[in-house]
Amino acid sequence: MDHKLDILTPLSATPTVNSMPLRHADFETLAQALDYAALGSSGANFYAGSGKLSYVLPYRELREQAITLAKRLSSLSLTRGARVAIVAETNADFLRFFFACQYAGLVPVALPAVIHIGGHKAYVNQLHGLLLGCSASVAVSSSQILPFLTEAAQEIDLAFIGDPAAFEALPEANVALQHSNVNEIAYLQYTSGSTGFPRGVIIKQQTVMANLVGSAHGLDVRAHDRCVSWLPFYHDMGLVGCMLAPMATQRSIDYLDTRDFAMRPRRWLELMSNSKATIAFSPPFGYALCARRVRPEDIAQYDLSAWRVAGIGAEPIRAELTDNFAQLLAPAGFSAKAFVPSYGMAECSLAISFSPLGQGVQVEWIDSDALADKLIAQPVAANQGSSFVRCGPVLPKHEVVIRNEQGEILPELYVGRILVRGPSIMSGYFELPEQTKLSLSEDGWLDTGDIGYLVESNIVVTGRHKDMLIINGRNIWPYDIESIAEKQPELRSTDAAAFSIPGAEFEELAVLVVQCNIVDADEVHDLTQRLHREIQEELGIKCIIELVPRHTLPRTSSGKLSRAGSRLDYLHRRVNQIEYK
Amino acid sequence: MTEYDRILADLYKGLTPLNKGNIALTENTELLGDLDLDSLKTMELLLFVEDSFDISIPVSILPDVKTIGDLALQIEKIVSA
Repeated sequence: MDHKLDILTPLSATPTVNSMPLRHADFETLAQALDYAALGSSGANFYAGSGKLSYVLPYRELREQAITLAKRLSSLSLTRGARVAIVAETNADFLRFFFACQYAGLVPVALPAVIHIGGHKAYVNQLHGLLLGCSASVAVSSSQILPFLTEAAQEIDLAFIGDPAAFEALPEANVALQHSNVNEIAYLQYTSGSTGFPRGVIIKQQTVMANLVGSAHGLDVRAHDRCVSWLPFYHDMGLVGCMLAPMATQRSIDYLDTRDFAMRPRRWLELMSNSKATIAFSPPFGYALCARRVRPEDIAQYDLSAWRVAGIGAEPIRAELTDNFAQLLAPAGFSAKAFVPSYGMAECSLAISFSPLGQGVQVEWIDSDALADKLIAQPVAANQGSSFVRCGPVLPKHEVVIRNEQGEILPELYVGRILVRGPSIMSGYFELPEQTKLSLSEDGWLDTGDIGYLVESNIVVTGRHKDMLIINGRNIWPYDIESIAEKQPELRSTDAAAFSIPGAEFEELAVLVVQCNIVDADEVHDLTQRLHREIQEELGIKCIIELVPRHTLPRTSSGKLSRAGSRLDYLHRRVNQIEYK
Repeated sequence: MTEYDRILADLYKGLTPLNKGNIALTENTELLGDLDLDSLKTMELLLFVEDSFDISIPVSILPDVKTIGDLALQIEKIVSA
């Protein structure tokens, strides 16, 4: 469906101010939201790595094309709710397929499009696991990625697999389309790059719409708003925050490919400047990457004065980072007050809370000892203890509580597990009743896996009780790192522990401690190098690797690996090493 | 000097700032195993490649690149296409 660029009529992006009145996502389903957006003039715009506008997709055209594609998908006689796996590159095809599913009553599943150097086998395995995990009936990717998808789909019984052109060749079924309804599944969202056990979050239409309404009001979306995003569509913030939310509020959005952003982060700021965008979200590392790469001579050319919502979330937020970014870009009109610390997760569609608009980052300074020993957030003077960021009150119509390990509800300033309940919570993990039970109580409370406290109704996240690592905004399960270690011939199944530690710039660093009997320097080098390589290939992250003698890793009383204990031991060894030098 | 050798020489130049361990670079040097490039360093390398050869690297070539030589071969293919 590539359009050849017409030299005579240069592309122009969809306008910011729409021809139709703004509605704040008050629709029953995504299909109805697009029906309304299609009446206006706004849409999605795609930019190439060069910074040039490469493709324009007004919501009007998106709807038409999605309906045609829905009829083609209908020719496959799939059961209602069948999963359509879409390798989610940042292009118009992703939107077409996603919304075709909405109109055809099918369930789209975004698959990652990240391929690491040397990661052929790992990527194929990952896709294979995801296709199986969601029991996909149909799979689609660009022709570039299709060989990997096809390899991954071997031995999986799919009704159809191909690139978008192959779907174009399907006949349009002569049926009256019945779009996915309020109580049906809107999409499945896979939450981590996990090859070990992919978990698909089930989000129904009414669920995602409830969250979109919450975000539209939380961000006070206005008629002059325009969005920019470089976040991938297989990430909840990219899919829900930067595709569904703009569409459901009929805003125009400018997309930059994730890889182009990672290579040339300044493009993000250029695009924000040129399109006078008002809303953009990023995990902290995106702001950090920009701040590192911006050159003083660029800053004068930017105009970031329209940027009123600089959303930040998905990873722990450090005020040092946002202060630095704001200071650096103040001459370009960026206001520190634009930062909107946000808390959310795929299990709650996306957003759980936004800090109040126009206030910037509100820092909480609390006593480190009281936090560690008594689990109490005891306020101290600035720069005197640990600092955390207020993420605002829970969305309207939602509830948040803090519970201790015994399940008792705690008052404000007491630290415990954060639980959330409300209309935007998932229905469960797809075909994983056990995992669902662990996260979702019968009376609807979602255990977020995070630890924190409430202050003046604001959620403050201080840590995580789940073992998950978050590296550059991506969720990584320790099991995935450990299993790479444990399949090495020198190692046994209980020889590895993975966890994260804070790095010098407050980012999370992955650490893998491996116990073994190897002492020979060459063998040590060989094993370490192999682990580095395989972790990079499979997960695309850098990992600190430490080899220790057998029987070093601590176990719980029931004999299970203690990751928390391994982490403490590791930190002690590191401190001692520095002292002995 | 063949095209491949020229590309290789350019790659050595581009990799120098990323080669923290000062490993001797050959066409068999592994980008991950030897140079331990993380995803952001990989992006810096790709940026260097795209800018200095004026090409766009398709995502789909990376998975089968292990060594500097593999990358040089892929670049040669794109440049001569």
